Amino acid sequence: MVHTTVVGNYPRIGDTPDEQSLRRAIARFDKGEISAEDLREAERDVVKAVLREQNDAGVELVTDGQISWYDSQSHIARRLASVEIDGLARYFDTNTYYRQPVVRGAVAWKEPILVDEWKFAQTNSKAAVKAVLTGPLTLGSLALDKHYRGKKALTLDLANALGEEVSALVRAGAAHIQVDEPILTRHPEDLPLAVEGLERIRAGKGAAALTLFTYFGEVSNIFEQLVDTPADVIGLDLVQGAATWAAIAKHGSKKPLVLGLVDARNTKGEDPAEIAKKVLDLKGQINLKTSFLSPSNGLEFLPRARAREKLRILSAAARKVGVAA
Amino acid sequence: MTGLLTTSVGSFPKPEYLTRARTKASKGELSGQGLRALEEKATAEWIQFQEEIGIDIPVDGEQYRGDMATYFAENIGGTEISGLVRSYGNRYYKKPIIVDELRRKGPISVDWFKFAQSRTKRPVKGMITGPYTMMDWSFDEFYGSRDEACLAFANLLHQEALSLEAAGAKIIQVDEPALSTRFDELPLLVKAVGTVTNGLRAKTILHTCYGSYNEIFEFFNKLPVDQLDLEMSNSGLDLLDRFRREPLKKEIAFGVVDVHSHVIEPESLIRERIEKALTIFAPDKLYIDPDCGLKTRTVGEAQAKLRNMVAAARAVREAHRLA
Repeated sequence: MVHTTVVGNYPRIGDTPDEQSLRRAIARFDKGEISAEDLREAERDVVKAVLREQNDAGVELVTDGQISWYDSQSHIARRLASVEIDGLARYFDTNTYYRQPVVRGAVAWKEPILVDEWKFAQTNSKAAVKAVLTGPLTLGSLALDKHYRGKKALTLDLANALGEEVSALVRAGAAHIQVDEPILTRHPEDLPLAVEGLERIRAGKGAAALTLFTYFGEVSNIFEQLVDTPADVIGLDLVQGAATWAAIAKHGSKKPLVLGLVDARNTKGEDPAEIAKKVLDLKGQINLKTSFLSPSNGLEFLPRARAREKLRILSAAARKVGVAA
Repeated sequence: MTGLLTTSVGSFPKPEYLTRARTKASKGELSGQGLRALEEKATAEWIQFQEEIGIDIPVDGEQYRGDMATYFAENIGGTEISGLVRSYGNRYYKKPIIVDELRRKGPISVDWFKFAQSRTKRPVKGMITGPYTMMDWSFDEFYGSRDEACLAFANLLHQEALSLEAAGAKIIQVDEPALSTRFDELPLLVKAVGTVTNGLRAKTILHTCYGSYNEIFEFFNKLPVDQLDLEMSNSGLDLLDRFRREPLKKEIAFGVVDVHSHVIEPESLIRERIEKALTIFAPDKLYIDPDCGLKTRTVGEAQAKLRNMVAAARAVREAHRLA
């Protein structure tokens, strides 16, 4: 037995005219032909469809697909005090771009950012919905800092702000919180700072389960310390970060892991039996019953039809693990 | 001494009649022939515009392309085109998928090069989407190795470069916007671009943009091309000091207008940028162009930016008594 989950984002449009409603709505909004409320309605329709696709595939712990996020950085940063949003910057090695936050003063939480989105998604999902936040280290590292002149102070203020957001999400009923720190695959030496940030976020989480997720690469050199961080669950990209596999096999983990084994950056469909076999290789090293199988990162980098296929592969692989275990 | 020749990076915006025609064609409401006629009309108009304002080295404007990688992949065997994936905001593109061994189907951009060259006496650039970018911007379901996929593209694109040269191209540009994606793969990029440019008599250019140039700086002199084309106005003006300390042993095409901004840079600002560049680079090694392709601007914005750019280059030339 192993649970199934996803990492975060999901393709917001597909290739049929029906599946392109949001693209049309955004274009019309940009031309001033529809209102902001009309646009939100179009986004909500897509969120419902995305939840349906995850529910239909049998994913146990889902997300809202981050459908209303312009990108992973500016969606959160733009609602914090003293942050402005600037031009496009390249997002890791993905051939996608984010609008770069510029920090002009002391960063602080002003108002709930994700709470309404989470509530709407949970109301429309049979499965539990995980609230996903970009971590303070990644947010700080990808921003342009014009105020703090030091990554540590910025990261910790961002962590305080995100901690308040997590409290608000938990008060609204979220039982699963995920903090994404992909920057750790590029800067593993920053793990102590990520941990300090996570401690502040953890303070507000109550009884919710807190997952720390890294993707876009491997974390083999910091795997042991990663498992000791103040998160309840550790999520790992095991495709682009395949090198982490040996560290899990060697050290094991007392904490549940999210095994990102389904390639979210390639259209090629995996054989569920092969993925199940890999998961079962870890039997004895980790607790499969409390762990999850997932895509290697958000599914947004794939065309929608291929993303659906990946969800199907994910569930089929988990079922095979269940039968074999 | 001559110098400060003006050029463009590659793409220009499509006129509205062409955008509408492309939508119609994608719905099957316009024939391939009908679309081609309008692409030719738009290409001819852009060549004429470049002639009028006096650009020294024109480009065909890429009116026939949707996405630069997708267009090349559509004309290479062993690929399929995927559904839409997001680039940013509300922009999507159809990403190539490598499903089999890559094979040459025939020339890719040679007909368009010939069409454009037949309309001007100035030397039109031959344009190739580079092998590293083709690999990085495709899903690979066949090779299972980034090196292998990249070098397979490089071999095919070398054939394309030879075809462009045979068709009369005196200048061939290899576009590698993905160059700064993974620094650990820069040796692969050097090898792949070297495969494309190997043995060419034409002048070769490598274009890149969105760079963290500081981290790739040491590779600049290793790139197997005669000229580097860099985005300088958006992110690179800070780099000038580094070029002062560590001279570039190649020609440089120096981007002087920001392609991501609606603001039309005044001639005086562009003149300042060119003057700054002249403190470091010899005028005969210094080419003046926009930061990147202008396709995301409106036709009016693109033309205004190019007009000011050419006027500024001309003014600096006169001030320095360059022919």
